[in-house]
Amino acid sequence: MIKIDNVSMKFNLAIEKDFSLKQAFVNIFTQKKKKKNDDFWALKNVSFTVDKGEVVGLIGSNGAGKSTLLKVVSGVMKPTSGKVTVDGVISPMIELGAGFDGNLTARENIYLNGAILGYSKKFLNEKFDEIVEFSELKDFLDVPVKNFSSGMTAKLAFSIATIVNPEILIVDEILSVGDIKFQEKSKHKMMEMIEGGTTVLYVSHSLQSIKDLCTKVVWLEHGKVVKIGDTNKICDEYYKKQMQ
Amino acid sequence: MTAVKNIWGNFKRYWFLTTQLISRDFKVKYKRSVLGILWSLLNPILTMAVMAVVFSQMFKFKVEGVNYIVYLMTGIIMFNYFSQASNMAMTSVVENFPLINKVYIPKYIFPVAKCLFVGIDFLLTLIPWLIIIALSYVGLGDYPCHFNWYYLLLPYIFFCMFLFTLGMGFLLSCISVFLRDIWHIYGIVLTLWNYLTPVFYSIEILPVKLQMLMHFNPLYQFLNAARSIVVYEQMPSFATLGILGLIGVGMLAIGAFVFKKKQDKFIYYV
Repeated sequence: MIKIDNVSMKFNLAIEKDFSLKQAFVNIFTQKKKKKNDDFWALKNVSFTVDKGEVVGLIGSNGAGKSTLLKVVSGVMKPTSGKVTVDGVISPMIELGAGFDGNLTARENIYLNGAILGYSKKFLNEKFDEIVEFSELKDFLDVPVKNFSSGMTAKLAFSIATIVNPEILIVDEILSVGDIKFQEKSKHKMMEMIEGGTTVLYVSHSLQSIKDLCTKVVWLEHGKVVKIGDTNKICDEYYKKQMQ
Repeated sequence: MTAVKNIWGNFKRYWFLTTQLISRDFKVKYKRSVLGILWSLLNPILTMAVMAVVFSQMFKFKVEGVNYIVYLMTGIIMFNYFSQASNMAMTSVVENFPLINKVYIPKYIFPVAKCLFVGIDFLLTLIPWLIIIALSYVGLGDYPCHFNWYYLLLPYIFFCMFLFTLGMGFLLSCISVFLRDIWHIYGIVLTLWNYLTPVFYSIEILPVKLQMLMHFNPLYQFLNAARSIVVYEQMPSFATLGILGLIGVGMLAIGAFVFKKKQDKFIYYV
């Protein structure tokens, strides 16, 4: 279960500007007015709950706050205010292959990436063959990942990330990886997990895949929740709004 | 007590990841090199040989009444551990930003992994170091250095130095998130620190006032304690050993405190 309670997330755009000793030195002499518009609210008072076994889709334009919300839920960021309660072990698939080291071989990366995702050594030893099998990369195990095509990298990453049966799965636009065959396979794998009772938070721009998978949809715009509810109804509304 | 338990549990949970990060560093470091990990042995031997020739033959440095080569080597390997480990720990958090931005990982793992990685290198350098001490029996250097029971205290001294280095690593990696200038500044600081620490000279050549000040240099304390065992064959006083522990734990506490306080802000500076 995931409970998102009045969560807001503020970014200070001024931080992004170059800051250095020189800048600090200059600031001493120039009166620095703190501009109000330096604050950017990526999320503002977002509240909703995801019950166990539910598959919730997040939709919204680019920059609506979807990915930020996923990061807050998975613990990468702490919200500026509000509270996120997560009951269960999270498997984040926010960006596949985060933590791949291009210089290492696929074999070595399976262990490294597995460790990053929190798997134990024993678990990885047991599941190693299964991961390799699913990724269809048996012949490339000892090739450095930097020589992989992006599709191959994504296949490997997806295979590592989905080897567990997590209680909560956080997915950011990843079902479009690999070739058509692998896409089908990965979709099937997701379905399998959902049927197994996994709670899913799913971000995608493909309304079709949202309609296929989700039991509920949250529509975000400018960091605020526009609507929550029935998948088909909200997807259609969203589509109309976008096409205006 | 529960706090300690929590920290330990957390540490155990992420230990496998730590080992993976360390082994990645080794793999990347020795990729495509013919001699591979042997370089971890060869490199210090060759560096030490160069330093030994430069200081003892060219500059005619010596320290009265002791084996200068062993004196020098002990200083070099210890100071090198500190400078390399603290330097790599400093950049570790920033280098792993892409990861920190995507998956939740406790951030303290990165400086810890770097300090351990360099620590393994350090342990390897102890092999040629011990060989050189053994060779002093057969006439390497002016005086023989005898192995003695006090050597059993060396792991403690090295461990205290490790804690100190880790504390510095926490502090520096935290600062470098907010102020990248620290990378350049610390490079200079390390050079200066190298000369201000009696790595290749003895503090007796300094004016008395400076000798007093030297006691505030933590690295001098570590070097001095190790040398008193290896070169002077004397046991460091209990007071000294206590001070080493205090320096190590104290620095670690400061570093960890700052790091813990600031770590949630790191993500905004990615």
